[in-house]
Amino acid sequence: MPHLDAAFNYARWLTKSDADAEDVVQDAAVRALRFFSSLRNDDARAWLLTIVRNTWNARFSRVGSADEHMVLDDMKDDRPDGQLDAEALVIQRQTVERVQRAIETLPTDFREVIVLREIEGLSYKEIAAVAGIPIGTVMSRLARARERLLALLGPDLARGGIGDLS
Amino acid sequence: MICPDVERLIDAYSDDELDAAQATGVKAHVATCPTCHQRVAERAALRRLIRGVPYYAAPSRVRRAVVAIRRPARVTPRRLALAATVLLAVSVGTGAVVRTVRARQAATATLAQDVVASHVRALMGAHLFDVRSSDQHTVKPWFQGKLDFSPPVEDLAGLGFPLVGARVDAVGGRPVAALVYQRRQHTINVFIWPAADTVGALADARSFRGFQVRHWTRNAMALWAVSDLNDLELDQFVRALQP
Ligand SMILES: [Zn+2]
Repeated sequence: MPHLDAAFNYARWLTKSDADAEDVVQDAAVRALRFFSSLRNDDARAWLLTIVRNTWNARFSRVGSADEHMVLDDMKDDRPDGQLDAEALVIQRQTVERVQRAIETLPTDFREVIVLREIEGLSYKEIAAVAGIPIGTVMSRLARARERLLALLGPDLARGGIGDLS
Repeated sequence: MICPDVERLIDAYSDDELDAAQATGVKAHVATCPTCHQRVAERAALRRLIRGVPYYAAPSRVRRAVVAIRRPARVTPRRLALAATVLLAVSVGTGAVVRTVRARQAATATLAQDVVASHVRALMGAHLFDVRSSDQHTVKPWFQGKLDFSPPVEDLAGLGFPLVGARVDAVGGRPVAALVYQRRQHTINVFIWPAADTVGALADARSFRGFQVRHWTRNAMALWAVSDLNDLELDQFVRALQP
């Protein structure tokens, strides 16, 4: 089945759980295979992702997800002074963890447009189709999601080799 | 262009979603404005950071499970014809088989005419709704006691096809459930009744009198969707209407 990785990646970011993502993708695959042969290739990925989202939406209530509003205190850089020039590999790993957590703490509406755009590389039109929102909303959500991530990850951005962002 | 214009377009610019004229305008401004240049650089850096996060590829367990899902045969008129031909080749006195296939095709065509007639009647007679609600938990129980079966009811507002209501209608002389969905100014009627066979596949797509008609069966229910919507969007609707 084509685009299975994209389906799992999207489901995993939506659910934030391996087990839930597996359930969602398997359900979605059952639905998708029923009509997959009628899909044009260039639409197939967006369609599969739409089905993933639909399946996830039906399965998991979107209310009561208090974790999405959690305080981000624990995301601050808490490495003691003097350790800042520790091994580059360690810094890189910690950066990846912080980026991952920053994306996970975004509200679902913001998280999904970031994942679909930055990781899956979908166009605004495709994101609009998958998320069931107008293209203008895709644009404004992406802008707001990025502002949040930039605020959370400013120090990592500077360390990531962007010299003029100190 | 001045900073506020550029700020408004900065994400679309970073995503390569501007038309050529706008992109040129933003690029020219960014080249001379340190503030906006920084905004573009931040977005590029953020993208690199996000792409550095490990990709959640499908685990092999999921891969195996999906491969194991039996893909239902798609029953197209061509397949039916092919099946008829094969049967013709291997059996003796197969006129009956061909007649059965033809009779089924004729029956499907008649039903297509009937559902389009019901669709037109509902729109013209303004009797589109017995119950007006976008809540599937209101609409589904409403059918109780009015039909001898319980039709599947799902709101598809999240996919751009909001459920707007339902009614009991008649197709081919039998009472059926009719669900009404909206897409912009277009109405989609979905007619549902217990199916004779249980082929879980999209079996039929056609247009009739300028209306698009889709027919499939699922979970022992026959479903027909009729609309003046274009065929691509109606296909999209049919795909969205999955259990
Ligand atoms: Zn500027």
